[in-house]
Amino acid sequence: MGLDFAVVPEYLDRLLLGSAWTIGITLAAAALSFFGGILFAVIALYAPAVIRWPFKTFAWLFMGTPLLLQLFLIYFGLIQIGIDLPAVVAGIIGLGLHFAVYNSDIIQAGIRAVDKGQYEAGRTLGLSQAQTIRKIIVPQAVRAVVPPIGNNMIALLKDSALVSVIGVTELTLSSQLAISKTFRPFEFYLAAAACYYVINLALEAGLHRIERRIQVAR
Amino acid sequence: MKTITNLLKSALAAGVMAVATLGVSNPVQADELDAIKESGVMRIAMSGAYPPFSFVNEQNEVVGFDPAIGAEISKRLGVEVEIVTTAWDGIIGGLLANKYDAIVGSMSITDERKKVVDFVGPYYRMSRGIFVKQGSDVADLAGLKGRKIGVTLGETHEQWAQEQEGWDVRTYKGLPELLLELDNGRIDAIVTDDIPVLLAIRENVNAITQLDTSGLAGIADQAGIAIRKGNPELHKAMQAALDAMQEDGTYLTIAEEWVGGDIR
Amino acid sequence: MDFDLILRVFPYFLQAAVVTIELSVYSTAFGLICGALGTYARLSRHKLLRAVGTAYVSVIRGTPALIQLFILYFGGPQIGIQLDAFEAGVIGLGVNIGAYMTETMRGAIVAVDKGQTEAARTLGLSRSQAMRKVVLPQAARLMIRPLGVNINAQIKGTALVAAISVVELTYTAQRYIGSTYKPFEMFLLAGALYMVIIYVVGLGITFLDGKVALR
Repeated sequence: MGLDFAVVPEYLDRLLLGSAWTIGITLAAAALSFFGGILFAVIALYAPAVIRWPFKTFAWLFMGTPLLLQLFLIYFGLIQIGIDLPAVVAGIIGLGLHFAVYNSDIIQAGIRAVDKGQYEAGRTLGLSQAQTIRKIIVPQAVRAVVPPIGNNMIALLKDSALVSVIGVTELTLSSQLAISKTFRPFEFYLAAAACYYVINLALEAGLHRIERRIQVAR
Repeated sequence: MKTITNLLKSALAAGVMAVATLGVSNPVQADELDAIKESGVMRIAMSGAYPPFSFVNEQNEVVGFDPAIGAEISKRLGVEVEIVTTAWDGIIGGLLANKYDAIVGSMSITDERKKVVDFVGPYYRMSRGIFVKQGSDVADLAGLKGRKIGVTLGETHEQWAQEQEGWDVRTYKGLPELLLELDNGRIDAIVTDDIPVLLAIRENVNAITQLDTSGLAGIADQAGIAIRKGNPELHKAMQAALDAMQEDGTYLTIAEEWVGGDIR
Repeated sequence: MDFDLILRVFPYFLQAAVVTIELSVYSTAFGLICGALGTYARLSRHKLLRAVGTAYVSVIRGTPALIQLFILYFGGPQIGIQLDAFEAGVIGLGVNIGAYMTETMRGAIVAVDKGQTEAARTLGLSRSQAMRKVVLPQAARLMIRPLGVNINAQIKGTALVAAISVVELTYTAQRYIGSTYKPFEMFLLAGALYMVIIYVVGLGITFLDGKVALR
């Protein structure tokens, strides 16, 4: 069985629709992972031990197990204990939390880098602890760590392919649907790879612009 | 257990991969029956997620009606059997890609599939069933409009369900997920072959009931064993083995063991 | 929670964990080779070789590992590549992580390169001598921690080969769910075993990193 790319155009609209879902899921999960990452970082550094330790355990679990397994557990496992999430939501939450834990690590390092002096200065100026963290430390820390967080978002885009296993018709599952009709895996997976690559380039360009803007702002 | 040889094989294969882009064409092969006999092993594929036809027991072995039939055919061809489990939606792709020699996996024989593979058999008869949770307010086919219907990706029932008007069709990777989701209440009905579900009902695994679909014409299907095209000798030998086991009663013994009755 | 079931299937999960470990070891070894070759290409003076290295890193890092595995395993036979699932898993994951390792290794070399190479050259060493005797020994130390991150990612990445039906931890869990209808228990069991593997490997990397840093 050789190659025949002529079968691809017939399914192009479905691949493009799948691409749109992939972009949507990626952006939603990226937003969740960004703000979740900040929240987790603040918890890990400033929260009282009673909150900090359960959280650290949770982060440790997320970092030590495969994302694929986490997605299965969130979608097929949680409903066993009464938490019913639609597949898309389960996918976004799984991706978002997974990368929030990784972002949190990066942001914590960023916070530690600005913390000294600034924190005391904020408090001396009459700001509360929460205000100091929110208005002085976090904005500086986040700016400093934009490039590594951007890398995580690019990784997130590619890992969004995993939500196909819980039945979200994004780009990967769309190509699988086409393959189950045409029996032409090479052509359709290559087409899917091309779509991912283009989305990836666009995302990289977008992140690059954000990085430049932040550098100008500094 | 994989060893260093596999690693070397992998490295070698990577080399092959590097030159493959230069254009390697498949040599014309003789009938695969010879190759199977020479290797002494026939590799058969199934989903492994389709009790009682194929499933994994607690000892992590793939067992059921399909493995038993496949093993019996292999025995009669004088070779060992090797069972491969794979996702249903890629199972024909895997056969065409030479990942195994046959699909003994409760595959219904359709014209569309016949365009790409040959079928040995049929080896049992199946019919389409639509199932809802006990106590569901769906009473008949018409009641399914606007509801969420679960099907297995790549099954004949998937395409059929997609063609029905007003159904919100959700695709899954296999029957266990369908049953889980029906039980969860995430989907309102499932469309699948009826025997495995009827057996599950009989064993009280799930509280579900079958919709009366007697008004539907042409929903009976036949299960066949898929092999790659262009292998008349292999086809003949496997068909002869299948016929012989039906005659001498071995088939019936297998059917009674796994399904509890004759399903021809 | 069905603890009885967990205990009964536990030995078979251990066997599956061995497959996961084998996949991790072989694919990491293959990845290191790809990474070394990729780094060589990326730092080469030959334009073409550099372009090949750049394309390798860009394409592999720009597309999902899952899709790469699917192309290799399901699509490969269409262009004459015939691999069994385990081999496809080792090669696919190895080629994938190799692209990330290329960036790790190159980053470490570039980090020590400045000034050091010139100093070595001034002392009369050739370009390759300077690289071998001055830059690489220092870069190797810088690489261990980030390579550890790559390896950690790779262990979790082996779960992807469940999709091409290698009976490792994740696929074992999936298959058991097919007959037991107990997703929560099966995934927890698989997850716990991944944690153990990653924890042990993490200890090893910390130990190694500590050793070279002391010198």
